[in-house]
Amino acid sequence: MPEQRIYGFIGPNGAGKTTLFSMIAGSLQPSAGRIRSRGRDVTGSRPFSLVKSGIARTHQIVCPFRAMTVLENVQVASHFGRKNITRTAAAREHAMQMLAKVGLENRADALAANISLGDQKRLELARALATDPELLLCDEICGGLSPTETRAMLDLLRQIRRQGTTIMYVEHDVKAIMAVCDRVMVLNYGQKLAEGEPQEIQNDPAVIEAYLGKAGSEKKGSRVA
Amino acid sequence: MGEEAPAGMSTAVIAPSRLEARARAGLPWLLLAVLALLPTAGLTPNIVRLLFITFVWVTSSLGWNLLGGFTGQVSFGFAVFYGLGAYTAALMIDRGVNPYLSFVAAGLVPAVAAFLIGLPTFRLRGPYFAIATIGVSEATRVIMNNLAITGGASGFRIMEHRPFRQVEHYYTALGVAALAVAASFLIAHSKFGMGLRAIKQDEEAAADLGVNPYAYKLAIHAVAAALTGIAGGVFARYAAFIYPQGVFAFQTSVYILLMPVIGGIGTVWGAVLGGVIFGIVEEQLVASFPQIHLLLYGGLLILIILAEPDGLVGLLGKLFRRLRTPRRNDGDTNSGGRKADQVLRRAGGG
Repeated sequence: MPEQRIYGFIGPNGAGKTTLFSMIAGSLQPSAGRIRSRGRDVTGSRPFSLVKSGIARTHQIVCPFRAMTVLENVQVASHFGRKNITRTAAAREHAMQMLAKVGLENRADALAANISLGDQKRLELARALATDPELLLCDEICGGLSPTETRAMLDLLRQIRRQGTTIMYVEHDVKAIMAVCDRVMVLNYGQKLAEGEPQEIQNDPAVIEAYLGKAGSEKKGSRVA
Repeated sequence: MGEEAPAGMSTAVIAPSRLEARARAGLPWLLLAVLALLPTAGLTPNIVRLLFITFVWVTSSLGWNLLGGFTGQVSFGFAVFYGLGAYTAALMIDRGVNPYLSFVAAGLVPAVAAFLIGLPTFRLRGPYFAIATIGVSEATRVIMNNLAITGGASGFRIMEHRPFRQVEHYYTALGVAALAVAASFLIAHSKFGMGLRAIKQDEEAAADLGVNPYAYKLAIHAVAAALTGIAGGVFARYAAFIYPQGVFAFQTSVYILLMPVIGGIGTVWGAVLGGVIFGIVEEQLVASFPQIHLLLYGGLLILIILAEPDGLVGLLGKLFRRLRTPRRNDGDTNSGGRKADQVLRRAGGG
């Protein structure tokens, strides 16, 4: 997988997108096969050690530390990520920079439980960024967001890529994937169905069949094309 | 790159009012000074003894709070560490070792024990961890009941070849309690403490951000056990007689857990307040209601968990806020959220 790109993963429900992510991020162990990062075998590593080697993830179902402030949430990642900042003040400052990156700096003192879903998604991203990743796994980061919020989030992803981070991106929203990804892989029933530039994928008959069924209902067809 | 803005904002985060902050920082020192001067005021030996016991309980309470309050791992097994500390100090003092050196050992031995106990038990989560700690605690008590070198169930009498000076015990216990308070605050405001809070709230999420929950739990378990063990050692030297049904009793574990819950779980001052109240009330309760005093504790525990999960500190905080802002919730749509903010933050520890 090439670096400093956004690599999209799509597929119908149950295709194995989140499972793939969980295996890479270390929360699930693969029953067969190996996972390699930059030539190093990282199969079976625990999540916290993967963070140290530069792999971070955001969660499809957001899991903020609800009784902590937004800033404190990110502070944890600044402390324990690759930066490994020991001093509290320095970690807070670093966390604040990350919040500014995702546009949450004015919610820094709010409790994570009390901010909107859109903001919690941004918080997920800010926490992952604060670990200073080389590879960022984004699982449905736009799920449940309004079209405006989605556009802003996609802009953020492009910005993160420009700053040198590779992104693996899972999303249900095909439009979002096509808009932002350099390369796309389609999964179905745990198998790779197709891989290529967004343009090629959109015209791949196997993909259209998997996604829309053989008949290809008119409504959904217009969404892909 | 953009250093001023974040720095400015982070100071705004922690500056409610200079005066208040200074008062908060000064209060512990004032308290310590008053307690240090107290014995010169001509207290009766009985009052000194009561204060001594209170300091011992406060120290144990703070120890448990590190694991149960900060990290969210509820243990019913802290009598193991209290008892091990007591027996370690007892055996060493009895053999003529300097008592203060013995107290250091009374912290080290339970810390090692806590590490070893944690290796298997921290593979368990939530209630399963709690149940496992009960098992370990009971097993330890049974072993100590049958151990020859400590005199088994009939107990162990400590012969110390030094004159007994009550005030020395008082200052030892006060110093140990102060150490526990200082350690708690240092941990609460450190990277280590942030990791513990993250684990308390969501272990998986914490791991995804680089925290190693298992290692952190093992570490804080050892620190908590060390404080509790020192408290046990200090108590043993004063009591001069200890027995397994006392220091290793399940009841002792419950007492140690109860104090932070009464005072306010997860907060330093909550654990202190719980210890103070328990230390003062316990003897009276046992004396007045020898048959049902445990029932009273049980009832109190249920009452607190139902009515005020944040304990007395949570209750006081609510009263204080109500007094300070008498009528402000008219039209202020934000106040509800902010109140919830404060309550939750308290529950989050720190």
